[in-house]
Amino acid sequence: MIRSVVISGVGGQGLLTMGELLGEALIERGFKVSVGEIHGLSQRGGSVVVFVKYGDVQPSPIVVEGEANALVGLELIETARRVQLLAPTGIVLANNYLLPPPASQKIPGREELIEAIRRAARNVILINAVELARKAGSSVAVNMVMLGALAASGAVDLGLADLKGVVEKKFTGRTGEVNARALILGFEEAQKQLREKA
Amino acid sequence: MARAAISGDSGTRKLLLGNEAIARGAVEAGISAAAAYPGTPSTEILEALAEVAEEYGVYVEWSTNEKVALEVGIGVSMMGLRALVAMKHVGLNVASDPLMSLGYTGVVGGLVVVSADDPNAHSSQNEQDNRYYGLHSYIPVFEPSGVQEAKDMTRELFQLSEEHRTAVILRTTTRLSHSRGEVMFGAVERVHREPVFHRDPERWALLPPYSLRKHREVLERIRTLEEKLGEWPFNRFVEGDGDTLIVSAGFAHAYVREALDWLKVNPPLLKLASTYPLPRALAKRALEFRKIVVVEELEPFVEDQLRAFAQREGSSAEIHGKDLFPRVGELNTALVASGLSKALGVSFDPPRGNAAGVELPPRPPTLCPGCGHRSTYYAVKLAAARARVKPVWANDIGCYTLGFFPPFRMADFTWSMGSALGIGMGIARFSKDPVVAFIGDSTFYHAGIPGLINAVYNQYPIVVVVMDNGVTAMTGHQPHPGSGYGPTGEKRPAIPVENLARACGVEFVEVVPAYEVARLRDAVERAIKYAREKNAPAVVVARQFCALEELRMKRMRGEAVVPYVIDQAKCVKCGICVDQFSCPAIVRENGSIKILTELCAGCGVCASICPAKAIGPLSG
Ligand code: SF4
Ligand code: SF4
Repeated sequence: MIRSVVISGVGGQGLLTMGELLGEALIERGFKVSVGEIHGLSQRGGSVVVFVKYGDVQPSPIVVEGEANALVGLELIETARRVQLLAPTGIVLANNYLLPPPASQKIPGREELIEAIRRAARNVILINAVELARKAGSSVAVNMVMLGALAASGAVDLGLADLKGVVEKKFTGRTGEVNARALILGFEEAQKQLREKA
Repeated sequence: MARAAISGDSGTRKLLLGNEAIARGAVEAGISAAAAYPGTPSTEILEALAEVAEEYGVYVEWSTNEKVALEVGIGVSMMGLRALVAMKHVGLNVASDPLMSLGYTGVVGGLVVVSADDPNAHSSQNEQDNRYYGLHSYIPVFEPSGVQEAKDMTRELFQLSEEHRTAVILRTTTRLSHSRGEVMFGAVERVHREPVFHRDPERWALLPPYSLRKHREVLERIRTLEEKLGEWPFNRFVEGDGDTLIVSAGFAHAYVREALDWLKVNPPLLKLASTYPLPRALAKRALEFRKIVVVEELEPFVEDQLRAFAQREGSSAEIHGKDLFPRVGELNTALVASGLSKALGVSFDPPRGNAAGVELPPRPPTLCPGCGHRSTYYAVKLAAARARVKPVWANDIGCYTLGFFPPFRMADFTWSMGSALGIGMGIARFSKDPVVAFIGDSTFYHAGIPGLINAVYNQYPIVVVVMDNGVTAMTGHQPHPGSGYGPTGEKRPAIPVENLARACGVEFVEVVPAYEVARLRDAVERAIKYAREKNAPAVVVARQFCALEELRMKRMRGEAVVPYVIDQAKCVKCGICVDQFSCPAIVRENGSIKILTELCAGCGVCASICPAKAIGPLSG
């Protein structure tokens, strides 16, 4: 059985790091993993998507429409853009953050986007990740907050401890501390919302 | 993150990019040298090697362009040593001249030429299928099906290259180069060869009497490989049910395996890792099946070779391929499952998801906040307006190609490396409007200089704006001949663009900091005037170190970035900063204009162009 996660956002938000950390944590749990990335110019503030697929056989690196078990969106327009990749039973974890592309005229509003995402996906969790990241010590740690939220969702075979393990291995010093805190804050927030829903 | 990705002992397991796996394979084969020109999706191969250059004793270099990189590799091979050369698919066009001759001469030390193709043209001007270069040059082509295999195969290929005295093309694609998978490391071979120049002028000097003889020899070499590759372990037959054989070429195998799983069928499989020449024994065995379905990305490369082979053998096997799978764009599991379901006569319900159902604004990549290219475009536009001209905007390949998008729209064409000058000259010869060509520093060294010499010699009134940010930025900030350092950070001589321009014979050369909009505007206005009056090229070097790299370095040094803010009381809402300059850190929100401090790089250019003087640094 192959499971998959789509991470979507804007180039520069740290999506590649998320894919790498997820991949490493899943390998530690004994899965075969493929992480599909996009490099190069598209990373310059463009729309970026990262695929993480895993299972007991080596998966392909692309997630197709209707396949993903979870969509982690770091920005609302980009979350809406990739929601079609989600399986009908999948979950969306969206950073409640709107970054309009520069110089674009017609932009859907925040509420309109959230509504559209909710229409397309049954299960949507909104996280104020920027705020939580700041609380953890750096606005750059939004990606870690969202990783923590993913761990809480139960959509991947990973717990908070698995992710903390790889984060601590990869980052040292203050960055490591901030990232670990952000991970926990994201985890707790998603857990709280899921409990309220249930 | 200082640990080198590909350093480790035999038995180590790591999550590696396809490109890193290729680099590891080369290290395990004991290469002595690697040369490349950066280009997505190939760049990380040399970057990974640079990280372990000292540890494993590999000489690495970013060459001026792909032709030079390949030539360096050929020279190393003539010394009896192993070398890897890497480039993106269009880079091989630049290197194709030495490549064609390399097919004839063959090699001494193992030589692997990595061509990183880009199906879907994620970051390229086309999706050319470079496997045809193998066919064209008589250089055998190999395609790994996954990350582990990329490592293992690269290592093997050095052996094969030496055994058959031929260079080989290792063809990877974006999806392999840029996906991560677990790789188990093997031992690093210590080749310890004494470098010796293999003097053999009759082999290396491609002169008329010897060329025909070599043509015959290379045909013989390819015939031998056709036989030998049948037993090559990376090519594999897998037994299965039914009389339809699925042939998967290279990375398509990853999708085939998954698609068969989705369809719950188990047909016989031929996994092909060497796609030119076609291994004879395997092709023969394939023809025993009633129906053959070839799955490969882009062109019908294997399919057509197989068809030709079947025709020669008088086989009546039914051969399918591009009638079932798209020739344009990438494959994925759904596309492959859909094609296979038709061929195998099984039903397939593709998974479906729900679209968001709102119109979403596109988000093309943009120049970073603080990027000097933005202020350069802005200043050049002002200069053209002042000079009352409507230039033809000639543009080239790099981050600055993003000048194509609004608000600038300053790329009337972009072609291939250096073409802004070349094509620009053809236009300039007959255009009443001036031609302004934009070219980056790295692209200038790569392919701009011959064009510039031509402009002087043949007297073209072209204005060349060299957008000099000190690095090859688009591919991730690799150093180039102007940077003053090499791939491992060691000092190397810097060759400033302006010196080269003057040496080419250009008399109008001005260097201006790219952030100084007014000065730059005036310089370009002078350049436009000069070119027209003197019927000669004018060069303006707009210099500002890459903002993204600068920001990264500041972060590493723990230096604070002072963001700029808009004083709402002074802002007259003219919209110049957001609509005409369009730094991504400046946005409209609820009727007012503000700066997102977390994105602002603190360059201060917006403050200098604001007519109301409403913008200033946060503290002051
Ligand atoms: S990477 Fe550097 S050169 Fe490229 S857009 Fe960003 S700041 Fe400009
Ligand atoms: S100072 Fe102005 S132009 Fe420079 S990055 Fe900040 S907002 Fe953009």
